Amino acid sequence: MEEKKSLWKFGTKEVVNSAIGAALYGVLSFATNFMQLPSAGNVAFRPGVAIPLFFGVAFGPWVGFFTGFVGNIIGDLLSGYGLWIWWDLGNGIMGLVAGLCANQITNYRDGKSILKAELYCALGIIAGMAVAAFSEMWVSGADINTVIYANFIPAVIPNLINGLILVPILMIAYQAVLSRSGR
Amino acid sequence: MLIAWGYRVRNSIMERIDPRARWIFSLVFLFAITMFWDARFLLFFFLLGFTWYSLAKVKWQESRRAWTLVSLMLFTMIFVNTLVTGGGAGGVVPPGGILIWPAGFTFPVFGWVIHFGLTYERVWFALCQILRILPISAVFIIIPFSMDPRLYGVTFKGLGLPDKVAYTLELAFRYVPTLARDFNTTMDAQKARGYELERMGGNLFQQLVRIAPLLVPVTMNSILIGEDVANAMDLRCFGTLPRTWLIELIYRRSDLVLIFLSFLLISLSLIVTSILGYGEFTVPSWFISLARPV
Repeated sequence: MEEKKSLWKFGTKEVVNSAIGAALYGVLSFATNFMQLPSAGNVAFRPGVAIPLFFGVAFGPWVGFFTGFVGNIIGDLLSGYGLWIWWDLGNGIMGLVAGLCANQITNYRDGKSILKAELYCALGIIAGMAVAAFSEMWVSGADINTVIYANFIPAVIPNLINGLILVPILMIAYQAVLSRSGR
Repeated sequence: MLIAWGYRVRNSIMERIDPRARWIFSLVFLFAITMFWDARFLLFFFLLGFTWYSLAKVKWQESRRAWTLVSLMLFTMIFVNTLVTGGGAGGVVPPGGILIWPAGFTFPVFGWVIHFGLTYERVWFALCQILRILPISAVFIIIPFSMDPRLYGVTFKGLGLPDKVAYTLELAFRYVPTLARDFNTTMDAQKARGYELERMGGNLFQQLVRIAPLLVPVTMNSILIGEDVANAMDLRCFGTLPRTWLIELIYRRSDLVLIFLSFLLISLSLIVTSILGYGEFTVPSWFISLARPV
């Protein structure tokens, strides 16, 4: 019960980490918009997707959710793409699901912890992008094949690559920061 | 890297509307339009959506990028999937239909005959998709260009979200210029050490690993900033009492009228679709008559 409480806590630290994570995700999305996928038109590569995943793993599901949700809004605002609520929600769910392992990780350098985080990140990406992509069926009337091949797969694959490579790097760096600062 | 919000003062009608009322209308519009596939109703929403868009006085040059993204999405979804492959109409358009080229399509010059399964029903469905997606895009595209970013926090507080959630939004927008500056500083520092972001050659894995010298210091620095900010907020008793806001939003009569009309729109949409049974996808007889020779 004690563990469950702390996983869903949303105190001052979580407010600030959510805000900073969101701002960071937005800025990085804007800054890396030049990295386009070679064969998928207007789909940017977005290594910044590691931010909501990492913030979820490090600070909990609420921080992951706000980092993804608000960060995607900020990134799209800065890039001039407008507002796509269902995709913002998908990014939020991505961070939220990744954050479900937050209270199980005590050492961010440990191999088992990294593997656990990777698994939750992968689940988060699949769940979040599924929500975002399949919402197109409701909004634009696209059928399931269109949604899978035109929305879901082009969103999931780059996010999986970015997340699975960059999140462990961030976790190891974060552990170094924690060790040095005695937290 | 210069960070600039798309918003600027335009003295438009849209900016005089309370942002809470605007959000309510936008969300109601989204839910209402998605109840319909009948082109007659979608035409009404199309006109409503673009009338709303025109109130913001957003110029084409400013929103060009957003519309380019919408066009690309429409092209993929409608032209490629609905019209060319025929996959995009499933679930709404009944199977079968009247073929536009029942004997096949003869390619000019080369004389090739291609049997193309495009039907009149799918063409009409493609039109309905355009009538649906464009006004939804219009209603949401104008938000970042016509709503002051300083109002996001107080707006969501006014819509009933808790203080902490609303303040998270406020703080996020406030930190964007700071983190952009830190990002630039880190990039310059790394460039001084021989790091070249512009040369992103190599495979995907190599490109990502090359992002790490930029991503890691910026992220860790942000987390450390966050610790100090959280301590400062705790010292000022953040979260112990209801928070006051620098900007106060007050509804005017026109805002209340807009909110009332929004709820009227969603109520009527529900009545028309769920109770009266209208709004389903139908192809008008005059369009079908194009298929039959006179």
